[in-house]
Amino acid sequence: MALFRTAEIIKASKLPPEGVRLSRMIDAVYFLPIAYLGVFATFHMHFDLLAGDWDFWIDWKDRQFWVTVTPIVEVMYPGAIMYYFWTFYRQPFGATLSITGLLVGKWITIVFAWYWWANFPANFVMPASMVSSALILDATLLLTRSWMLTAIFGVWAFAMMFNPTQYAIFGYSHQPVVIDGQLMSLADYMGFTFVRTGTPEYIRIIEVGSLRTFGGHTVWISAFFSAFVSMLVFTIWWQIGHFVGQSFFWVKGKRGVMSRMNDTMIVGTDEFAQRHGTPDGIAPGARVAARTAATTIS
Amino acid sequence: MNAKNIFKLCVIGSLGMATLGLTLMVSALPAAAHGERSQEPFLRMRTAQWYDTRWNPQKTNVNDEAMLSGKIHISEDWPRAVVKPNRTFINVGSPSSVFTRLSSKVNGTPMMTSGPMEIGGDYEYVIKLRGRLPGHHHIHPMLAVNGAGPIAGPGGWMDIVGNYKDFTNPVKLLVGGTIDTETAGLTAGLFWHVVWGTLGFLWIAWFSIRPMFLIRARVLAQEGGDALLNDPVDRVVAFGMLGVTFTLIAIGFFYTDSQYPYTIPLQAGEPKIKSTHLKSDLTVKVLAADYDVPGRALRMTLQVTNSGEQPLSIGEFTTAGIRFLNKVGVANNMDPTYPPEIMATDGLHIEDESPINPGETREVKLDSRDSLWEIQRLMDLVHDPDQRFGGLIMAWDEAGNRHINSIAGNIIPVFTRATAG
Ligand SMILES: [Cu+2]
Repeated sequence: MALFRTAEIIKASKLPPEGVRLSRMIDAVYFLPIAYLGVFATFHMHFDLLAGDWDFWIDWKDRQFWVTVTPIVEVMYPGAIMYYFWTFYRQPFGATLSITGLLVGKWITIVFAWYWWANFPANFVMPASMVSSALILDATLLLTRSWMLTAIFGVWAFAMMFNPTQYAIFGYSHQPVVIDGQLMSLADYMGFTFVRTGTPEYIRIIEVGSLRTFGGHTVWISAFFSAFVSMLVFTIWWQIGHFVGQSFFWVKGKRGVMSRMNDTMIVGTDEFAQRHGTPDGIAPGARVAARTAATTIS
Repeated sequence: MNAKNIFKLCVIGSLGMATLGLTLMVSALPAAAHGERSQEPFLRMRTAQWYDTRWNPQKTNVNDEAMLSGKIHISEDWPRAVVKPNRTFINVGSPSSVFTRLSSKVNGTPMMTSGPMEIGGDYEYVIKLRGRLPGHHHIHPMLAVNGAGPIAGPGGWMDIVGNYKDFTNPVKLLVGGTIDTETAGLTAGLFWHVVWGTLGFLWIAWFSIRPMFLIRARVLAQEGGDALLNDPVDRVVAFGMLGVTFTLIAIGFFYTDSQYPYTIPLQAGEPKIKSTHLKSDLTVKVLAADYDVPGRALRMTLQVTNSGEQPLSIGEFTTAGIRFLNKVGVANNMDPTYPPEIMATDGLHIEDESPINPGETREVKLDSRDSLWEIQRLMDLVHDPDQRFGGLIMAWDEAGNRHINSIAGNIIPVFTRATAG
């Protein structure tokens, strides 16, 4: 009893052995250099433009904006990428691929730009990790096999699990310190002690706003708000994935009418030839016979 | 010189070449552009007026403390084109964090976050620094104004010697113990990034050890393909991954919570700093001022009244962090460590050099003439959208008491040498 159904799946694909080998080569070339690098480069840029500073600096990681903005921005690419990998291949790793890709980009930046070039220590510019949330999102899609249930439960957990995951990474920075008789968190002090000439303190967008009901539980209020917006944003990006991920082609039928063909996998099959004919107008069986005949004559 | 420095120099060099190339296209002047000189003169002369700036000491060991201090006067004639200083931050202009900042006090009040400043007010800042990255660094005090950007003060050179590897920046925690800002939380952060990253890559690997795309797409296109691709073992793994993920999140959260029982949110308050005001027995009014472009001089006609009890002599005109002094100024206010490149010790000329006597009102013709006007690119005033100048006039009595007046007024350019007189 094999672990996977791979043998059955390969058989059902009706590809000859050399086709199977070739498909694995396509997997490698397509997945790593194209899908992975493409996603990590563009998602990294997209994320840094929309939520960059909250992720760069330790003294921006507040209970209101950081907690709200990060999941909303980080769920965008997963929405579209999950649509693509799920709809066409039933592959449930779109979110994990997007977010590990983002983090690969982040860490390249931390090592080369922040530490090596600008001389900030890695703890000061430590990024958040939403891989935990991405795993939940992907697993939810695999188990529910429904984008709507994924949007409702998966994305909800995606945003709600943001703060508890980050707390393990950044909790230390909320220890109180007293500098010149003034109480600050260690994060505030690190923002103060490491001189940022172009990013003065007032640039911080933190702890302002009206999400302050329910006493001091600001962070959970923000997370709830973030979860609802993330659901909406996920759905929109799922649809963006649908829009840019359309695969169809136009065929000219026997009567010369152009029609849109959504079933791209039908190309080259007998069924296709019977329905639409072949380019030279000969049925597939007849074409093979004709070619064989021609070879014989010459 | 290691590979890193060579690489940095190459990048800076090519950026410099590009800048130089672009500058040559628009102007024949050499581009010695360092941030501070690229700001428009009206902005530098009439916003923060810097004086008594000190870089102390000029050579610091890694881990040793240094001080950047001085005073600013917030010009009464703050330009309309610049957002008012409602939220400001006294910052340090340095090439990355070559020093760490230990404390920053403005008029004796700690200024860790941004706060408002009063137009016409005076502020004395004392910034305590700790040497971090060895090198020869150009350090500026800076006034960052929300909406207007940073306004650079005068720049002085400070050297840091030693080895970065020895650097530590310990902070006392309120609940006891110390922590080093250079490494605090680094292990925990790296640990969790590695844990989550590994789980993420394992999840992807689980699906990529089997045919990934073409075969699955072909199967999916067939009847029953969807059900065939729904491998039961994947469902088991997905349930397992959910369990592992939630468990790890809970462990991380509760462990950290127990490790740091006392935490506070980020502090986003603002210091309300009381300003002081310039004291002077003189009243100074700008009657006229012109700007001799080829002669590189600012000529002012001032109406000066001495309402005090001591005769006073004008000794210094300072603007945009650049100082123009005469003999009186040199005798009373000469700081030998002040960067010579932004100070003209023979740059101030007065027609009648005799002191202004108590009760006297006099028309003073003041001429601050030096190539610094051009080198520091204050000549560009003529291209500004607001043709006014500003600065501080300093005068001294016999006993060496200083009297400072902030002046501002209209300025008329004089373009040809023939009319200069
Ligand atoms: Cu400088």
